[in-house]
Amino acid sequence: MDQSFQGPAVVVRDLYKEFYRDKLTIPVLMGTNLQVERGDYLALMGPSGSGKTTLLNLIAGLDRPTRGEVIVAGDDLSKLSESALARWRSQHIGFIFQLYNLIPVLTAFENVELPLLLTPLNKRERAEHVRTGLEIVGLADRMDHYPRQLSGGQEQRVAIARAIVNDPVLLVADEPTGDLDARSAREILDLLSRLNAEFGKTIVMVTHDPHAAERAKKLVHLEKGVLVDGNQQPRDQGIQVGTSEGIKA
Amino acid sequence: MKYLKYILRNVRRNKLRTLLTIMALAICLMLMTFLYGYLAQMEVWGREADKYNRVVVMHRQGFAGRVPFKTLDEVRALDGVVAATPFAWYGGKYGDGTEFFAQFGTDPNTLFEVWSEFKIPPDQLAAFKSERQACVVDRALAERLKLKVGDRVPLQGTFYQFNLDLKLVGIYESPETNLSLYFNLKYLDEGLRQLEGTGSAAAGNCGTIFFKAASADIIPDLCKRIDEKYANSSEPTKTQTEKAFSQMFVKMMGNIQNFILFIAVFVTVSLTLVAANGMAMSMRERTTEIAVLKAIGFPNHTVLAIMLGESILIACIGGLLGVAAGRGIYALAHQVAPMVIQISNMPWEVMAWGMLVAGGIGLASGIVPAVLAARLSVIDGLRRIV
Repeated sequence: MDQSFQGPAVVVRDLYKEFYRDKLTIPVLMGTNLQVERGDYLALMGPSGSGKTTLLNLIAGLDRPTRGEVIVAGDDLSKLSESALARWRSQHIGFIFQLYNLIPVLTAFENVELPLLLTPLNKRERAEHVRTGLEIVGLADRMDHYPRQLSGGQEQRVAIARAIVNDPVLLVADEPTGDLDARSAREILDLLSRLNAEFGKTIVMVTHDPHAAERAKKLVHLEKGVLVDGNQQPRDQGIQVGTSEGIKA
Repeated sequence: MKYLKYILRNVRRNKLRTLLTIMALAICLMLMTFLYGYLAQMEVWGREADKYNRVVVMHRQGFAGRVPFKTLDEVRALDGVVAATPFAWYGGKYGDGTEFFAQFGTDPNTLFEVWSEFKIPPDQLAAFKSERQACVVDRALAERLKLKVGDRVPLQGTFYQFNLDLKLVGIYESPETNLSLYFNLKYLDEGLRQLEGTGSAAAGNCGTIFFKAASADIIPDLCKRIDEKYANSSEPTKTQTEKAFSQMFVKMMGNIQNFILFIAVFVTVSLTLVAANGMAMSMRERTTEIAVLKAIGFPNHTVLAIMLGESILIACIGGLLGVAAGRGIYALAHQVAPMVIQISNMPWEVMAWGMLVAGGIGLASGIVPAVLAARLSVIDGLRRIV
């Protein structure tokens, strides 16, 4: 990661994404523009099928756009090869999934260590990073526990530790509280707010939950592949509204 | 090595499936290594024989023909022949006939010169040379028959209709168990001369002549000279190295060898499919997990290596168990049926071959699921709920 980079964390320009099913072309994003500054905490809301997760995947370098630009931490993702993109993700992005997606056969420690296996760190250095990560999420005492031995909230905290352990530029969270009870959800949201406030982590979160969205500094809505106004000054933050072209066959 | 822990945990993830796959591999590889070990015995014999520059003279028609004593004397007189000794098969029954072992009439004066790797105490050798009814056996056969020096060894004729009353005068040590008894050919010849018909016709002859050449370089020329000399005689010869002689036995198996090979190929293919099915199921169950690995930055080649490592590890564990079991059964078979399994230890190349096949099965069974895993779209993988 280029830590000296001082521009916006995310720049999305005129982004289109279409999926192809049989002979149908399904446009999901249509000319989306978005800019997320470093240290922002952005919530993406919208109904199912509006393209929230698709946009998140494109920002995270998991998918490639049909056309348009996605620039994250100064890197134009469309210019990276598959292997370069994988390496880029390991250095720049921390993922938080709705269903935690921990590896069940690995302990909390080993799950958090996974992204570090891709770095040149030695075993001792990796262990230090993992302990720090687990301490931040308050699970240093559970590092030898397997996912099945943890509650849902604890599992998500381990997943967050895994997401932050290699100090990424951007945390992307897809419905991080979607599978949790209210109390656990609150704890996770507190943790995300802390990561943003204390550690300056830029967060882009997809959520259906208005309570979760309230915690974000900014909120944008997506509807039918087009960004529309959020309730927290999206225009002032450089979020532009695209145009809807409907679904074409 | 960083990923070994993850590979090991995955192998243990579904213990029953892994265990069944390992057992299937182990049982089949046990059978295959045992069968190949059986076939490889002659190769081992040939390889060992190569060290000693031994040459075999036999009748051109093979074992059905006989070689006159006169030929033995003439072979001994050739330049480059260090020592020559005759061999004549007796094929008698010892005791109740349940213990079957080779019995050869030979020349006590030259046997241990031609088989210089056999070691016998000088006093026992002297007794063997001097006593008409003397015999010697190797240590393994003595232990098997519970014989000690001085014991009588009565042999009941089956091939020839007369009995031999032998006395054990020596026990020799051989590098590899050979379970053979040697006695003075003159004693056998006396018996043959008293027979009528085909038995008496065998008198004055031996089955084969083994001689030791001064060096390996001269063996081809010696073989040619001997065969040319007797080409137009009533007893034409076929002269070849001991290694070539051992390979005759392999050729005799002919179709059996091919049959075993076919079985091995089909078993290997079946095993690969069974293992591949297990790996494919395992991969499918972990689609989301693989997608997560790729999402956090694991490159395709690392995912491929992890998945292949898993299949190869399972196959190698199965291979190791199978080869070890095959070796154990081989050693046991040598104890129970030493004339069938003549060497006590399975040849190392058979075990190496078994492990190579196991590794190959692991690679072949894992390659398709591993490539699919490596090429999995992260988006599709994360979307899938298994």
